[in-house]
Amino acid sequence: MHDVGTMPNRLAAFLTERDGQRSATVVSYDAMTGGYSRLMAKAEIDWSDGQHETFVLRGDPPAGNAMMETSRDVEHALLRSLAESDAVAMPAVRHYDATGDHLGTKCIVLDFVHGSSLQALLHTAGDAERARHAIDLVDTMARIHSIDIDAIGSTLAVPTDWDDYIGELIDRFRQADAAHIESVPFLRFVASWLDANRPPPLPLRVVHSDFQPANIMVTPEGRHLMIDWELTHIGDPREDLGYYNVYSSASGPNLFLADPEAFLSRYRERTGFSEEAVNMETMAYFSALAAITVYAQVLAGAGAMARGQNGGLLTTYTMNALTIGHSNFLTGCTATKSAKTEPVRIREAV
Amino acid sequence: MLSRPTTDQIIADCRNELLNTIDAAITDPAVKIAIQMMENVLRNCATRAAHEIAWMREETDDVITFAKRVAASTASTDAVTAALDNYVAKRSDSLHLDDVSSTYSLAGECLSASLEAALAAGDDDLSGAGRALLEQRLAHEMEIMGEWTMVGRG
Repeated sequence: MHDVGTMPNRLAAFLTERDGQRSATVVSYDAMTGGYSRLMAKAEIDWSDGQHETFVLRGDPPAGNAMMETSRDVEHALLRSLAESDAVAMPAVRHYDATGDHLGTKCIVLDFVHGSSLQALLHTAGDAERARHAIDLVDTMARIHSIDIDAIGSTLAVPTDWDDYIGELIDRFRQADAAHIESVPFLRFVASWLDANRPPPLPLRVVHSDFQPANIMVTPEGRHLMIDWELTHIGDPREDLGYYNVYSSASGPNLFLADPEAFLSRYRERTGFSEEAVNMETMAYFSALAAITVYAQVLAGAGAMARGQNGGLLTTYTMNALTIGHSNFLTGCTATKSAKTEPVRIREAV
Repeated sequence: MLSRPTTDQIIADCRNELLNTIDAAITDPAVKIAIQMMENVLRNCATRAAHEIAWMREETDDVITFAKRVAASTASTDAVTAALDNYVAKRSDSLHLDDVSSTYSLAGECLSASLEAALAAGDDDLSGAGRALLEQRLAHEMEIMGEWTMVGRG
């Protein structure tokens, strides 16, 4: 997909075939930076009827070079379901090469969003702007957590109940340790601690699972479009709250820490969840718990590399994220005892 | 063998060449991000090369002392005993990196089992002592990580 010598012709042939009536000419094709897990490219298209469009291609890296393994089939089906339910704004899915025969790898073709990522906007925003972005971010998260899980059909597996689900999520720490090439003692310690300190339950909802400002595109009109749904699952919505806190502590600014009570209060107001379920203490708990999905994927990549089954710069580079994870696991596992009034200050990358 | 310049010095020198010569000649944004990542990985490697054998050995000694303390307490479990037995059977005094790493992993299993046992028994003293070992391990990881941000995101 990053072969700029052949991709314009391959993409033009693919789009022409899928359109059925018009022919496409690819006038520019560039690899995009910013995505860690998948290959991304931007293509400018001239159609034979004079229309001009810009697409983003999102495909799998070559075998043995992925820092994490996820399914494009599942992601594509989910994007279609979410679009049909009209529950949350996101870039439109235009096409899918389900076999990779046309574009060289399984690849989803989406509309390009003219705007910036929220992460980029936050880098230059002042305090007042950040406060406004915080409100919009909470509202975007709350919209995802308000999606009717029946509306997205059978795309994602629905756990039987909250207790089983949380038990399985906690167990992923133990599974990650057992599957890894060497012992990682943080994992079973955290699992034992989380098991002994379970919070009150919430209804199971759609969890984005990589909810971070780099995955929110903001249009010039200020509309939020959520991208990168590859890790999405049905689970406890507080996973996204905790993950956001952990991620933004490593790659700030952290909008939650700017005013924790206001952040959680708006989230409760928008979702209808109670203060018993969404508070500083549960935020701390899920800050320790929520990173396991991404953490386990990164650890598996490192393990595969140690076994000689995987390679690539991203695998070694993102091993540092495992250290951030260990730090956050330990912080989260002590914070909850005193977190009812104190903000959950996850250790930041130095 | 020639031991000086040390491995970490050589890696640090390669990192400087990457930043000052190669990066300056590159304009492709994707390649520049890759260079930033490589710079970070080389720093990680330099710190590991300088310290990792000593750190793993020191941590292993502390962990085994702790695991034996748990094994001798009322908190002990079959998993703690089995992990210690396995450690004794398979550990190595060799200082070759692969051997040190394997012994370190055996000790890691002892720490995991001991922490689980201490938490299950509600023994705050043992839990605190085990947690301190995790903090020690984390301090080494943080020193290896150094300054780190997710380059190219956003």
